[in-house]
Amino acid sequence: MLLSVNDVSVNYGYVEALRHIHFYVDKGEIVTLIGSNGAGKTSTLKTISNIVKRTSGTIMFKDKDITGYRPNDIVALGMCHVPEGRQIFPYMSVKDNLIAGSFGNKKLSSTDREHLMEEMFEWFPRLKERYRQDGGTLSGGEQQMLAIARGLMMDPDIVMLDEPSLGLAPIVVEEIFELINKIRELGKTILLIEQNAAMALGIADRGYVMENGRITMTGTGQELLENEKVKAAYLGS
Amino acid sequence: MTSAYFISQLMNGLCLGAIYALIALGVAVIIGIVGFATFTQGEVVMMGAYISFYVFLYGGNHVIPGILGSFIATWVLGMIIYKICYARFLDAPEHISLICTIGFSMLLKNIALIFFGADKKPMLNVIKSINYHFGPITVSNVQLLILGTVLILVLILSFVFTKTDWGIRLKAVSQNREAAALIGIDVEKTAMIGNSIGCALAGAAGTLIGIYYQSCYPTMGATLSMKAFTSATLGGLTSVPFAALGGILIGIIENIGIAFSSASFRDMFSFGFLILMLIFKPTGFARKRSVRA
Repeated sequence: MLLSVNDVSVNYGYVEALRHIHFYVDKGEIVTLIGSNGAGKTSTLKTISNIVKRTSGTIMFKDKDITGYRPNDIVALGMCHVPEGRQIFPYMSVKDNLIAGSFGNKKLSSTDREHLMEEMFEWFPRLKERYRQDGGTLSGGEQQMLAIARGLMMDPDIVMLDEPSLGLAPIVVEEIFELINKIRELGKTILLIEQNAAMALGIADRGYVMENGRITMTGTGQELLENEKVKAAYLGS
Repeated sequence: MTSAYFISQLMNGLCLGAIYALIALGVAVIIGIVGFATFTQGEVVMMGAYISFYVFLYGGNHVIPGILGSFIATWVLGMIIYKICYARFLDAPEHISLICTIGFSMLLKNIALIFFGADKKPMLNVIKSINYHFGPITVSNVQLLILGTVLILVLILSFVFTKTDWGIRLKAVSQNREAAALIGIDVEKTAMIGNSIGCALAGAAGTLIGIYYQSCYPTMGATLSMKAFTSATLGGLTSVPFAALGGILIGIIENIGIAFSSASFRDMFSFGFLILMLIFKPTGFARKRSVRA
């Protein structure tokens, strides 16, 4: 088990955002959390990265209890979190955004960094064309690609993607999902959060369905795709 | 009024403006990176002046150790200020840390009164003043020293911000704290360094003011704090180059104002200018760069 979330609860004031969440991710898997707005998907990721303080429960990553770690120390263990809404650095050039992404991994030498940057530019030729431009001037899809590329610059073991398809044109969404498959081929583990349940379950090995801060269903991607309840609630058929 | 007098006031204004610019740069760096306003900046300037006073007293009148000494001491002071005024209030409303910095500035002022005494300390002839004449313009070597030091510090600062990894870290933290934490930047340490950079610039400015006015005293920071804040406001609070421009403008406006009236009206001109700015261009000179959502 690469990552496991054990009995985690989170409260925002009096509101219970997460209630006794339990799930795990094995090495090399694509695991997806699906659910509607406000189900607690983003809160789950933020709790793993320790940006949101949990009320109870433990989180294990690479057999270490990371529950009390600071966000940057969690990143240093090899966990990358591409946040919701991209959150690239708007007044920094594309190149500097990418360089910033490599800071999380202290083991990278400057040649490793150059290598990774070349690789990212190969993956995203559009970022290469715009590498001097400020991140904030890119289009939504390009910003999402920059956010993912920035995350990959630390050469992480697990990539957590929070709604990468949010607000993007269908054709760009396709590109993003192709990209997720490509990331897996690099041998990386992926934890994917999506509202686009059909696409997410289509590429995931396993999935969890979240409702009102609870995990209510789990199964392989295929099982969930064929599940009547999931179909009715999330696949719109 | 002779034109020679006018030109010498202009030079004087440029020098003072350069010093204000240095303090304002510090304010802009602090507000940009830490994310909170500071009102201790004037007292940091005062501390910087005193440190170099003691360096000159015990180590002889050497300019570079004086500036270095106050730079390093106020860097450390910046770490203390960060721990006391900001570290525990990062998630609190902005006015909490703002008031905390005001309180801390009073503390510093009174510490200075107790340990350094209320009287003005003379910083005479740190460098022997020589005047150079270029046509109608008269420049002293002290003025050249001030302009040169400010220029060097600004160049170092812009090098750090544009060419080094630390610059990228500092900018990342100033633009999006959460995203910076998520890519593995130690936000707290980076913000503390940002605060220290801002304070150390003010400390160096303190040395320069001490040398220029040949004295330092515990209450010298009060109006400087306001002027630095004013200059930074002209730059839209977080724009470093425009904060510098704001500082120079205020220095020049003050001294030209004095040239036409009396030295006791000095602060009236700078703050009058601020009020005009706030009425007609409240966002400052800095143009917001466009960002797509």
